[in-house]
Amino acid sequence: MFHVLAELTGNVEIVGKGIMLGAGMIGPGIGVGLIGNAFMNAVGRNPEAAKFLGQILVFVAIVELMALLVFASLFII
Amino acid sequence: MIAGFTRFAAEEVGPPVHIAPGELFEFMGFTVTNSMLFAWLGSTILIILLAYVARRMTLRPKRGITQIVEIGTEFVTSVLEGSMGSRAKAIQYAPYFVTIFFFIAFSNIIGLLPGVGEALTYEGQPVFRAFTADLNGTLAAAVVSMAMIQYFAIKESGFIKHLRHYFAGKLWNPLTYVVGFYEVLNELIRVFSLALRLFLNVAIGEIIIAVFSYLGKFAAPLTAFPFLFLELGVALLQAYIFVMLSVTYLSLAISHGHDEDEALESTAEQMKANAV
Repeated sequence: MFHVLAELTGNVEIVGKGIMLGAGMIGPGIGVGLIGNAFMNAVGRNPEAAKFLGQILVFVAIVELMALLVFASLFII
Repeated sequence: MIAGFTRFAAEEVGPPVHIAPGELFEFMGFTVTNSMLFAWLGSTILIILLAYVARRMTLRPKRGITQIVEIGTEFVTSVLEGSMGSRAKAIQYAPYFVTIFFFIAFSNIIGLLPGVGEALTYEGQPVFRAFTADLNGTLAAAVVSMAMIQYFAIKESGFIKHLRHYFAGKLWNPLTYVVGFYEVLNELIRVFSLALRLFLNVAIGEIIIAVFSYLGKFAAPLTAFPFLFLELGVALLQAYIFVMLSVTYLSLAISHGHDEDEALESTAEQMKANAV
Protein backbone atom coordinates (compact mmCIF):
# COMPACT_ATOMS: atom_id res chain seq x y z
CA MET A 1 0.00 0.00 0.00
CA PHE A 2 2.68 2.46 1.03
CA HIS A 3 4.71 1.29 -1.90
CA VAL A 4 1.86 2.33 -4.23
CA LEU A 5 1.52 5.71 -2.58
CA ALA A 6 5.23 6.28 -2.91
CA GLU A 7 4.97 5.48 -6.59
CA LEU A 8 2.21 8.03 -7.03
CA THR A 9 4.35 10.94 -5.92
CA GLY A 10 5.67 11.46 -9.42
CA ASN A 11 2.25 12.19 -10.93
CA VAL A 12 0.19 13.58 -8.06
CA GLU A 13 -0.93 16.34 -10.42
CA ILE A 14 -2.99 13.88 -12.48
CA VAL A 15 -4.71 12.47 -9.38
CA GLY A 16 -5.43 15.97 -8.13
CA LYS A 17 -6.96 16.95 -11.45
CA GLY A 18 -9.18 13.87 -11.40
CA ILE A 19 -10.39 14.53 -7.86
CA MET A 20 -10.96 18.20 -8.67
CA LEU A 21 -13.00 17.46 -11.78
CA GLY A 22 -15.07 14.77 -10.07
CA ALA A 23 -15.72 16.64 -6.84
CA GLY A 24 -16.23 20.01 -8.48
CA MET A 25 -18.95 18.77 -10.81
CA ILE A 26 -21.11 17.45 -7.93
CA GLY A 27 -22.47 20.84 -6.89
CA PRO A 28 -23.39 22.20 -10.34
CA GLY A 29 -24.90 18.80 -11.20
CA ILE A 30 -27.19 18.96 -8.18
CA GLY A 31 -27.96 22.60 -8.95
CA VAL A 32 -29.00 22.03 -12.55
CA GLY A 33 -31.04 19.02 -11.43
CA LEU A 34 -32.90 21.12 -8.86
CA ILE A 35 -33.66 23.80 -11.47
CA GLY A 36 -35.03 21.18 -13.85
CA ASN A 37 -37.02 19.60 -11.04
CA ALA A 38 -38.59 22.91 -10.06
CA PHE A 39 -39.40 23.76 -13.68
CA MET A 40 -41.06 20.43 -14.41
CA ASN A 41 -43.00 20.65 -11.14
CA ALA A 42 -44.22 24.12 -12.07
CA VAL A 43 -45.21 23.03 -15.57
CA GLY A 44 -46.98 19.98 -14.17
CA ARG A 45 -49.02 22.09 -11.79
CA ASN A 46 -49.63 24.94 -14.21
CA PRO A 47 -48.92 24.28 -17.90
CA GLU A 48 -48.78 28.03 -18.59
CA ALA A 49 -45.49 28.14 -16.65
CA ALA A 50 -43.78 26.60 -19.70
CA LYS A 51 -43.29 30.13 -21.04
CA PHE A 52 -40.52 30.67 -18.47
CA LEU A 53 -38.17 28.28 -20.29
CA GLY A 54 -35.99 31.19 -21.42
CA GLN A 55 -35.51 32.42 -17.87
CA ILE A 56 -34.80 28.86 -16.71
CA LEU A 57 -31.96 28.70 -19.25
CA VAL A 58 -30.47 31.87 -17.74
CA PHE A 59 -30.44 30.26 -14.30
CA VAL A 60 -28.93 27.11 -15.76
CA ALA A 61 -26.19 29.28 -17.25
CA ILE A 62 -25.50 30.87 -13.86
CA VAL A 63 -25.08 27.45 -12.23
CA GLU A 64 -23.21 26.07 -15.22
CA LEU A 65 -20.52 28.74 -14.78
CA MET A 66 -19.29 26.91 -11.65
CA ALA A 67 -18.87 23.66 -13.58
CA LEU A 68 -17.06 25.49 -16.37
CA LEU A 69 -14.70 27.12 -13.86
CA VAL A 70 -13.81 23.65 -12.57
CA PHE A 71 -13.13 22.45 -16.11
CA ALA A 72 -11.01 25.51 -16.91
CA SER A 73 -8.96 25.03 -13.74
CA LEU A 74 -7.63 21.81 -15.33
CA PHE A 75 -5.39 23.97 -17.49
CA ILE A 76 -4.21 26.19 -14.64
CA ILE A 77 -3.10 23.71 -11.94
CA MET B 1 0.05 -1.27 -12.79
CA ILE B 2 -0.89 2.06 -11.23
CA ALA B 3 2.50 3.38 -12.21
CA GLY B 4 1.78 2.34 -15.77
CA PHE B 5 -1.55 4.14 -15.79
CA THR B 6 -0.17 7.31 -14.33
CA ARG B 7 2.69 7.30 -16.80
CA PHE B 8 0.21 6.92 -19.64
CA ALA B 9 -1.90 9.78 -18.29
CA ALA B 10 1.12 12.03 -17.82
CA GLU B 11 2.47 11.54 -21.31
CA GLU B 12 1.83 14.26 -23.83
CA VAL B 13 -1.07 12.67 -25.66
CA GLY B 14 -4.16 14.38 -26.92
CA PRO B 15 -5.00 17.13 -29.38
CA PRO B 16 -3.23 20.51 -29.29
CA VAL B 17 -5.31 22.71 -26.98
CA HIS B 18 -4.96 26.48 -26.63
CA ILE B 19 -6.61 28.46 -23.85
CA ALA B 20 -4.79 31.70 -24.60
CA PRO B 21 -4.78 33.38 -28.03
CA GLY B 22 -1.64 33.09 -30.15
CA GLU B 23 0.44 36.13 -31.02
CA LEU B 24 0.78 36.49 -34.77
CA PHE B 25 2.76 39.67 -35.48
CA GLU B 26 3.46 43.15 -34.18
CA PHE B 27 1.97 46.23 -35.79
CA MET B 28 3.04 49.73 -34.66
CA GLY B 29 4.10 48.36 -31.27
CA PHE B 30 0.81 46.50 -30.68
CA THR B 31 0.73 42.74 -30.67
CA VAL B 32 -1.93 41.40 -33.01
CA THR B 33 -3.34 38.05 -31.88
CA ASN B 34 -5.24 35.55 -33.99
CA SER B 35 -8.52 36.24 -32.19
CA MET B 36 -8.18 39.99 -32.87
CA LEU B 37 -7.60 39.29 -36.54
CA PHE B 38 -10.66 37.07 -36.69
CA ALA B 39 -12.76 39.62 -34.79
CA TRP B 40 -11.85 42.34 -37.30
CA LEU B 41 -12.70 40.01 -40.17
CA GLY B 42 -15.96 38.92 -38.54
CA SER B 43 -17.11 42.42 -37.63
CA THR B 44 -16.33 43.69 -41.14
CA ILE B 45 -18.44 40.92 -42.65
CA LEU B 46 -21.19 41.54 -40.10
CA ILE B 47 -21.27 45.30 -40.75
CA ILE B 48 -21.49 44.75 -44.51
CA LEU B 49 -24.19 42.10 -44.05
CA LEU B 50 -26.31 44.21 -41.70
CA ALA B 51 -25.92 47.33 -43.85
CA TYR B 52 -27.08 45.30 -46.86
CA VAL B 53 -30.05 43.95 -44.91
CA ALA B 54 -30.96 47.42 -43.62
CA ARG B 55 -31.15 48.70 -47.21
CA ARG B 56 -33.37 45.81 -48.25
CA MET B 57 -35.78 46.27 -45.34
CA THR B 58 -39.35 46.69 -46.57
CA LEU B 59 -42.78 46.66 -45.00
CA ARG B 60 -43.63 43.36 -46.64
CA PRO B 61 -41.25 40.73 -45.22
CA LYS B 62 -38.75 39.24 -47.64
CA ARG B 63 -37.33 35.75 -47.56
CA GLY B 64 -33.70 34.81 -46.95
CA ILE B 65 -31.13 36.61 -44.84
CA THR B 66 -33.41 39.61 -44.27
CA GLN B 67 -35.94 37.41 -42.56
CA ILE B 68 -33.33 35.88 -40.23
CA VAL B 69 -32.09 39.32 -39.16
CA GLU B 70 -35.68 40.48 -38.64
CA ILE B 71 -36.43 37.46 -36.45
CA GLY B 72 -33.33 38.16 -34.33
CA THR B 73 -34.16 41.83 -33.95
CA GLU B 74 -37.77 41.11 -33.02
CA PHE B 75 -36.62 38.45 -30.56
CA VAL B 76 -34.25 40.77 -28.71
CA THR B 77 -36.86 43.53 -28.71
CA SER B 78 -39.42 41.18 -27.18
CA VAL B 79 -36.91 40.14 -24.50
CA LEU B 80 -36.40 43.84 -23.73
CA GLU B 81 -40.14 44.44 -23.70
CA GLY B 82 -40.69 41.60 -21.27
CA SER B 83 -38.03 42.97 -18.94
CA MET B 84 -38.77 46.71 -19.22
CA GLY B 85 -42.54 46.44 -19.31
CA SER B 86 -43.19 48.81 -22.21
CA ARG B 87 -42.69 48.68 -25.96
CA ALA B 88 -41.42 52.28 -26.18
CA LYS B 89 -38.58 51.63 -23.73
CA ALA B 90 -37.73 48.38 -25.50
CA ILE B 91 -37.33 50.21 -28.81
CA GLN B 92 -35.31 52.93 -27.10
CA TYR B 93 -32.70 50.46 -25.83
CA ALA B 94 -32.95 47.94 -28.67
CA PRO B 95 -30.08 49.23 -30.92
CA TYR B 96 -27.27 48.38 -28.50
CA PHE B 97 -28.64 45.01 -27.41
CA VAL B 98 -29.49 43.89 -30.94
CA THR B 99 -25.94 44.80 -31.99
CA ILE B 100 -24.29 42.84 -29.19
CA PHE B 101 -26.62 39.88 -29.81
CA PHE B 102 -25.74 39.66 -33.49
CA PHE B 103 -22.03 40.25 -32.83
CA ILE B 104 -21.74 37.46 -30.25
CA ALA B 105 -23.92 35.00 -32.17
CA PHE B 106 -22.02 35.68 -35.41
CA SER B 107 -18.61 35.44 -33.68
CA ASN B 108 -19.60 32.13 -32.09
CA ILE B 109 -20.91 30.66 -35.32
CA ILE B 110 -18.02 31.67 -37.57
CA GLY B 111 -15.69 30.26 -34.91
CA LEU B 112 -17.11 26.82 -35.72
CA LEU B 113 -16.31 27.03 -39.43
CA PRO B 114 -13.74 24.57 -40.80
CA GLY B 115 -10.35 26.23 -41.17
CA VAL B 116 -10.66 28.11 -37.89
CA GLY B 117 -8.20 26.70 -35.36
CA GLU B 118 -5.36 24.32 -35.99
CA ALA B 119 -6.02 23.83 -39.70
CA LEU B 120 -4.11 26.95 -40.83
CA THR B 121 -0.98 27.85 -38.90
CA TYR B 122 1.50 30.69 -39.19
CA GLU B 123 4.79 30.34 -37.27
CA GLY B 124 3.31 27.60 -35.11
CA GLN B 125 0.19 29.60 -34.16
CA PRO B 126 -3.27 29.13 -35.63
CA VAL B 127 -4.15 32.01 -37.96
CA PHE B 128 -7.82 32.18 -36.95
CA ARG B 129 -9.35 31.79 -33.51
CA ALA B 130 -12.95 32.52 -32.53
CA PHE B 131 -13.17 35.97 -30.92
CA THR B 132 -15.35 34.69 -28.08
CA ALA B 133 -12.89 31.85 -27.34
CA ASP B 134 -10.47 34.48 -26.01
CA LEU B 135 -10.90 35.88 -22.50
CA ASN B 136 -9.62 39.31 -23.62
CA GLY B 137 -12.41 39.52 -26.18
CA THR B 138 -15.25 38.47 -23.90
CA LEU B 139 -13.93 40.69 -21.10
CA ALA B 140 -13.98 43.62 -23.52
CA ALA B 141 -17.55 42.76 -24.53
CA ALA B 142 -18.63 42.52 -20.88
CA VAL B 143 -16.91 45.79 -19.90
CA VAL B 144 -18.54 47.63 -22.82
CA SER B 145 -21.90 46.10 -21.94
CA MET B 146 -21.75 47.09 -18.27
CA ALA B 147 -20.45 50.58 -19.15
CA MET B 148 -23.38 51.04 -21.54
CA ILE B 149 -25.77 49.88 -18.82
CA GLN B 150 -24.33 52.46 -16.40
CA TYR B 151 -24.61 55.13 -19.12
CA PHE B 152 -28.24 54.23 -19.86
CA ALA B 153 -29.07 54.19 -16.16
CA ILE B 154 -27.46 57.60 -15.50
CA LYS B 155 -29.20 59.04 -18.56
CA GLU B 156 -32.51 57.63 -17.35
CA SER B 157 -32.47 58.76 -13.72
CA GLY B 158 -29.64 61.29 -13.27
CA PHE B 159 -26.26 60.81 -11.58
CA ILE B 160 -27.29 61.50 -7.96
CA LYS B 161 -30.40 59.36 -8.20
CA HIS B 162 -28.40 56.57 -9.76
CA LEU B 163 -25.88 56.71 -6.88
CA ARG B 164 -28.78 56.63 -4.43
CA HIS B 165 -29.85 53.44 -6.18
CA TYR B 166 -26.73 51.78 -4.74
CA PHE B 167 -26.62 53.70 -1.45
CA ALA B 168 -30.32 53.41 -0.70
CA GLY B 169 -31.56 54.26 2.75
CA LYS B 170 -30.74 56.92 5.31
CA LEU B 171 -27.39 58.63 4.80
CA TRP B 172 -26.43 58.79 8.50
CA ASN B 173 -26.70 55.02 8.78
CA PRO B 174 -23.29 53.32 8.34
CA LEU B 175 -25.06 50.18 7.13
CA THR B 176 -26.07 52.11 4.00
CA TYR B 177 -22.43 52.44 3.01
CA VAL B 178 -21.66 48.80 3.75
CA VAL B 179 -24.58 47.63 1.63
CA GLY B 180 -23.73 50.20 -1.07
CA PHE B 181 -20.13 48.99 -1.20
CA TYR B 182 -21.39 45.45 -1.59
CA GLU B 183 -23.72 46.56 -4.41
CA VAL B 184 -20.89 48.31 -6.27
CA LEU B 185 -18.70 45.22 -5.83
CA ASN B 186 -21.57 43.16 -7.21
CA GLU B 187 -21.53 45.24 -10.41
CA LEU B 188 -17.82 44.50 -10.85
CA ILE B 189 -18.37 40.80 -10.26
CA ARG B 190 -21.09 40.85 -12.94
CA VAL B 191 -18.50 41.96 -15.51
CA PHE B 192 -16.32 38.94 -14.75
CA SER B 193 -19.21 36.50 -14.58
CA LEU B 194 -20.52 37.67 -17.99
CA ALA B 195 -17.04 37.43 -19.52
CA LEU B 196 -16.09 34.08 -17.98
CA ARG B 197 -19.39 32.42 -18.86
CA LEU B 198 -19.15 33.29 -22.54
CA PHE B 199 -15.43 32.53 -22.80
CA LEU B 200 -15.55 29.20 -20.99
CA ASN B 201 -18.60 27.94 -22.89
CA VAL B 202 -17.03 28.66 -26.27
CA ALA B 203 -13.46 27.63 -25.40
CA ILE B 204 -14.49 24.39 -23.72
CA GLY B 205 -16.78 23.61 -26.64
CA GLU B 206 -13.79 23.94 -28.95
CA ILE B 207 -11.72 21.70 -26.68
CA ILE B 208 -14.49 19.07 -26.62
CA ILE B 209 -14.68 19.08 -30.43
CA ALA B 210 -10.88 18.79 -30.62
CA VAL B 211 -10.80 15.91 -28.11
CA PHE B 212 -13.55 13.95 -29.86
CA SER B 213 -12.06 14.40 -33.32
CA TYR B 214 -8.73 13.23 -31.85
CA LEU B 215 -10.32 10.16 -30.23
CA GLY B 216 -12.14 9.27 -33.43
CA LYS B 217 -8.91 8.92 -35.48
CA PHE B 218 -10.05 8.09 -39.04
CA ALA B 219 -13.73 8.35 -38.06
CA ALA B 220 -13.21 11.88 -36.75
CA PRO B 221 -16.05 13.47 -38.80
CA LEU B 222 -18.52 10.97 -37.31
CA THR B 223 -17.45 11.43 -33.68
CA ALA B 224 -17.06 15.21 -33.80
CA PHE B 225 -20.26 15.90 -35.74
CA PRO B 226 -22.78 15.62 -32.85
CA PHE B 227 -20.67 17.96 -30.75
CA LEU B 228 -20.51 20.45 -33.60
CA PHE B 229 -24.32 20.59 -33.56
CA LEU B 230 -24.28 20.89 -29.76
CA GLU B 231 -21.91 23.83 -30.09
CA LEU B 232 -24.13 25.43 -32.73
CA GLY B 233 -26.93 25.38 -30.15
CA VAL B 234 -24.59 26.66 -27.43
CA ALA B 235 -23.43 29.50 -29.72
CA LEU B 236 -26.96 30.89 -30.06
CA LEU B 237 -27.89 30.10 -26.44
CA GLN B 238 -24.86 31.94 -25.08
CA ALA B 239 -25.60 35.01 -27.20
CA TYR B 240 -29.17 34.92 -25.84
CA ILE B 241 -27.98 34.50 -22.26
CA PHE B 242 -25.47 37.34 -22.57
CA VAL B 243 -28.17 39.68 -23.87
CA MET B 244 -30.78 38.42 -21.39
CA LEU B 245 -28.48 38.98 -18.40
CA SER B 246 -27.44 42.43 -19.68
CA VAL B 247 -31.10 43.37 -20.09
CA THR B 248 -31.86 42.10 -16.59
CA TYR B 249 -29.00 44.17 -15.13
CA LEU B 250 -30.25 47.23 -17.03
CA SER B 251 -33.81 46.80 -15.81
CA LEU B 252 -32.47 46.39 -12.26
CA ALA B 253 -30.35 49.54 -12.63
CA ILE B 254 -33.13 51.79 -13.93
CA SER B 255 -35.84 50.55 -11.58
CA HIS B 256 -36.22 52.29 -8.24
CA GLY B 257 -37.18 51.08 -4.80
CA HIS B 258 -40.24 53.29 -4.81
CA ASP B 259 -41.73 51.62 -7.88
CA GLU B 260 -40.93 48.19 -6.50
CA ASP B 261 -42.73 48.97 -3.25
CA GLU B 262 -45.76 50.17 -5.19
CA ALA B 263 -45.73 47.03 -7.34
CA LEU B 264 -45.45 44.86 -4.24
CA GLU B 265 -48.31 46.70 -2.54
CA SER B 266 -50.57 46.39 -5.57
CA THR B 267 -49.76 42.67 -5.81
CA ALA B 268 -50.55 42.23 -2.11
CA GLU B 269 -53.84 44.06 -2.55
CA GLN B 270 -54.69 41.92 -5.53
CA MET B 271 -53.91 38.77 -3.57
CA LYS B 272 -56.12 39.96 -0.72
CA ALA B 273 -58.95 40.67 -3.16
CA ASN B 274 -58.51 37.24 -4.70
CA ALA B 275 -58.49 35.56 -1.29
CA VAL B 276 -61.68 37.30 -0.32
